[in-house]
Amino acid sequence: MDSAVGRGAGARWLLLVYRLPREPSRHRVAVWRKLKALGAMYLQDGAAVLPENDLTREQLEWLQLRVREAGGEATLWEATPNTTAEREGLEEAFRASREEVYAEIVEAAGRLRRKAELGGDSDGMLEELKKLERDFRAERRRDYFRSPRREEAAEALRGARRVLVDGASSRGGAGVGEVS
Amino acid sequence: MRWATRRGCHVDRTACAWLVTRFLDPEAEFSFFGDPAEAPEGAELFDVAGARLSHRGDDCSFETFLVEYEHLGRDATLREIAEIIHDADLLDERYGRPEAEGLDAIIRGMQLASPDDHALLRQTGPVFDGLYAYLSREAP
Repeated sequence: MDSAVGRGAGARWLLLVYRLPREPSRHRVAVWRKLKALGAMYLQDGAAVLPENDLTREQLEWLQLRVREAGGEATLWEATPNTTAEREGLEEAFRASREEVYAEIVEAAGRLRRKAELGGDSDGMLEELKKLERDFRAERRRDYFRSPRREEAAEALRGARRVLVDGASSRGGAGVGEVS
Repeated sequence: MRWATRRGCHVDRTACAWLVTRFLDPEAEFSFFGDPAEAPEGAELFDVAGARLSHRGDDCSFETFLVEYEHLGRDATLREIAEIIHDADLLDERYGRPEAEGLDAIIRGMQLASPDDHALLRQTGPVFDGLYAYLSREAP
């Protein structure tokens, strides 16, 4: 029941407020890295926000525990921005924060596709494509408000894969033909 | 015996419940609570902050079960499943298990389609049975 409310994007937010001892720095880095992987946004130092859903709630609960185990303090809050304008601003900031990676994927996939059209080391290119696809899935997971560039990136990856896979099989076929 | 964990189970808790029923306590009964303060008295808690059977360091709860119950930790197939659960639960690609992403999607989908955690466990049990059977084909 609780979680159903949070599934609609932007319904509720979770706010992790934490403080960690300066040393050793590895805890601060680990927490920062985890928040970054989740796509959280820092409102200010030691205060990170995420839209609420089952996944973000669980991940932030473990993170809170982790901060405490590292000798820090952490509290986890449910929150709603006070005004519609504030909420929209926050959602827009989340959307915008995903755009850079999507744009990089679009560009890299386009480059790969053009390279594939010229032929060459298709195994190497396929590995490169798989990495881009992995990056895309990770980005999509933290794209809570559906950045408009997501579909563009997905299409660029599909295009590159089509050329790579079809190209490889048709060249393979031609190779067999040449023997006769 | 009664076992209890937080409501809204995902991959780690459903996998732990499967592990309990299949390997530790076939008669296990499960309770689910919202706030840890509502946990039933005398129940063995799992995947709950501060419990014996929970996340430990960088490990997920399923991995902790294999440490706490040594005979389970000696099962190579369970150790493999633990890697998959870890990657699906913590999303840190520690073991680079490709099954993790698919399993994450399947369990999340089942969660959306299930009215409650009891119903969810009835569905996820056979998924882990299948995973266990598949991985044990070639277990040493």
